[in-house]
Amino acid sequence: MNYSRADLTQTDATMNQMRNAVYELARFMERNGTVDLKVKLRKMGKNIARTYIRYWKPTDQVNNSNLKDVITTIYQKILNSSVSIEIVDVEKLVKVQDYKCALCKYQYDDVEIAGCEIILGMVSEIINLINKEVKDVSSVFIEPFEVAESRAYGNKVCIQVYKIGGRD
Amino acid sequence: MGAFQWLMKKITKVFGHSTNALFYTLLNREILKEINEITKKEEDSIAILKEIGKRAAYESCERHSSIFKFMPGSPKKILEYFEILWVVVFGTELDDYSYEEISKENSKYNDYVLKISKCPICAGYGQDIEDTFDFSKIKNEKTEGLACGLSGMLESVANYILKIKRNDYRIQIIEQACIAKGGDSLQFICKIYDYKQWKELMDSKDQEKTTIDAYFGEHLEEEIVQETKLDIFDKLQDVISIDKLEEYLDEPLETIKKRVSDIIRDKLNMEPDHFFDYFRNYEEDMIRIIGYLGIHLLNEYGGILEKSLKNEWVAKVFGYLFKQVKEMVSLFIPLDVIRDYNELLVNFLEGLAPVEMVDNIKQLTGKDTINLLFEGAQMALENLGIAFTELKENIWEELKKEREDGLISSESTAVDKTRERVPQIINIIQEMLMIITDILTLPIRIFISESHYGLKTAINSVISEEEGLYGSIKERFDSIFDQIEEIRK
Repeated sequence: MNYSRADLTQTDATMNQMRNAVYELARFMERNGTVDLKVKLRKMGKNIARTYIRYWKPTDQVNNSNLKDVITTIYQKILNSSVSIEIVDVEKLVKVQDYKCALCKYQYDDVEIAGCEIILGMVSEIINLINKEVKDVSSVFIEPFEVAESRAYGNKVCIQVYKIGGRD
Repeated sequence: MGAFQWLMKKITKVFGHSTNALFYTLLNREILKEINEITKKEEDSIAILKEIGKRAAYESCERHSSIFKFMPGSPKKILEYFEILWVVVFGTELDDYSYEEISKENSKYNDYVLKISKCPICAGYGQDIEDTFDFSKIKNEKTEGLACGLSGMLESVANYILKIKRNDYRIQIIEQACIAKGGDSLQFICKIYDYKQWKELMDSKDQEKTTIDAYFGEHLEEEIVQETKLDIFDKLQDVISIDKLEEYLDEPLETIKKRVSDIIRDKLNMEPDHFFDYFRNYEEDMIRIIGYLGIHLLNEYGGILEKSLKNEWVAKVFGYLFKQVKEMVSLFIPLDVIRDYNELLVNFLEGLAPVEMVDNIKQLTGKDTINLLFEGAQMALENLGIAFTELKENIWEELKKEREDGLISSESTAVDKTRERVPQIINIIQEMLMIITDILTLPIRIFISESHYGLKTAINSVISEEEGLYGSIKERFDSIFDQIEEIRK
């Protein structure tokens, strides 16, 4: 009897080579005419979220009061990352500072995309899927905004920015 | 489990960046789907994912090449250590697996088949609507499965080790059975080729090569290791590979002396007494050099020590720890034990070094020897980045000073995090001191073992591997690795 996907949520895997594989994929895609790389990586993240949420989710509802905690929990449980989060109310942005991003470590001269675009897609989709079933006006929906800084761009940390918005 | 396997597993687990295994598996799936969106041909997509796996692993190997210098150098050994390869590549334990050797006529090495009953990559594949890569569209039976990226990584790591060990053989790893494709297990076949056969094999795979070249524009060519890159560690790596750890533990002192003599004769082309004669009247320096080399040898395992000490705070903590250990040795270890160590050194040199030199070393007290070893080790640590002259009396004064300077964040979260880590740090220090105490009882056991049971028996305290000294040290290191993992979380 093989492992189930639920079993996998209880164990860890080393990302070093899979992280490199993401950048190899980016090279492959660019070379073969993919122009919307950012959209593609975010879509990969969304697909991961759609499967993942069937086996684990951090809470049953996300609202303004627990948004920071939920994001912290997702980063910690899925990506083993400790993050600091800032919510900019005026611009309706959530800025997540990730010191040891699972998908970015080295800067490559020939790749102009950060692997953490995948994380941006995944985290926003997990939160949106949790709230999709909840009929409560206080529920928060977020969408990927930008990777403001990344170790893949030569910065010291990755800063992933989400936009707080309405229902999809 | 052997000491080498245990050590490699622990190091990989602690120092690699881990994520949840389900995230890893789903990311692998998404990569394959994206490839297939471009190729629109499942067979090609599998070949490309394998190539991506190879390239990804090669990049990792290149970045950490020094750690592979001490890995086993023969293809057979590498495959025997498949469990380690799996941990290096996948980062998780290899559960239930079987290993079959298939004899191959007119060949130095046989083929090997590895059957792994549980595959994390295939776990639950096909049960979620996002699992859209359709294996039923694959017509060629020889096409690999969902773990093809993993087999590419394993092949790349195995061949990188052989390349760096200057071995002329290469290993081909093919995923023969895949659970996602309907197989009852994950199965790899590992074939060993000499370099000429390997080149011929690569040239014969025209269609695959064409596919790869069409999508990547170039093929991953194996870089030839230049002879000029040989250093003293390269010369010695064949004899001091850490996979030989178990062999060394089996051998009593006399056999170790013989082995050292052989190394000096083979690798340095001189008789042992001529070699040691260089150090006559410089015995104190020789002992310092042992301490110095000990630290540098430790650093050879992936340069982990040097990399860690680049962080100012790690360097400081390590420096304080070293100072504390240096003081504790003379405070807590009975002089008799230290004298035993000195006697062990004399015993070791007798027959290897000139008589005059052995007499000079006999004049040194045990305390002198320990101090000289620490002096040498301190010099090496200074080389690697610890500024001992800048260290305060103890680490608490250092913390106080930093707070006054405002260099440590005053944010409560940072302070909380530091506070959370204090118990783990104290535990690590405590365990380290206990290990040192354990090790320092070793000479007595060695002398007993010399005349009775041999070094391994001494280490295992005649009871069992798990309950003896080896077991005790292993247990303490397990605890240290656990604490480090906790801190890293």
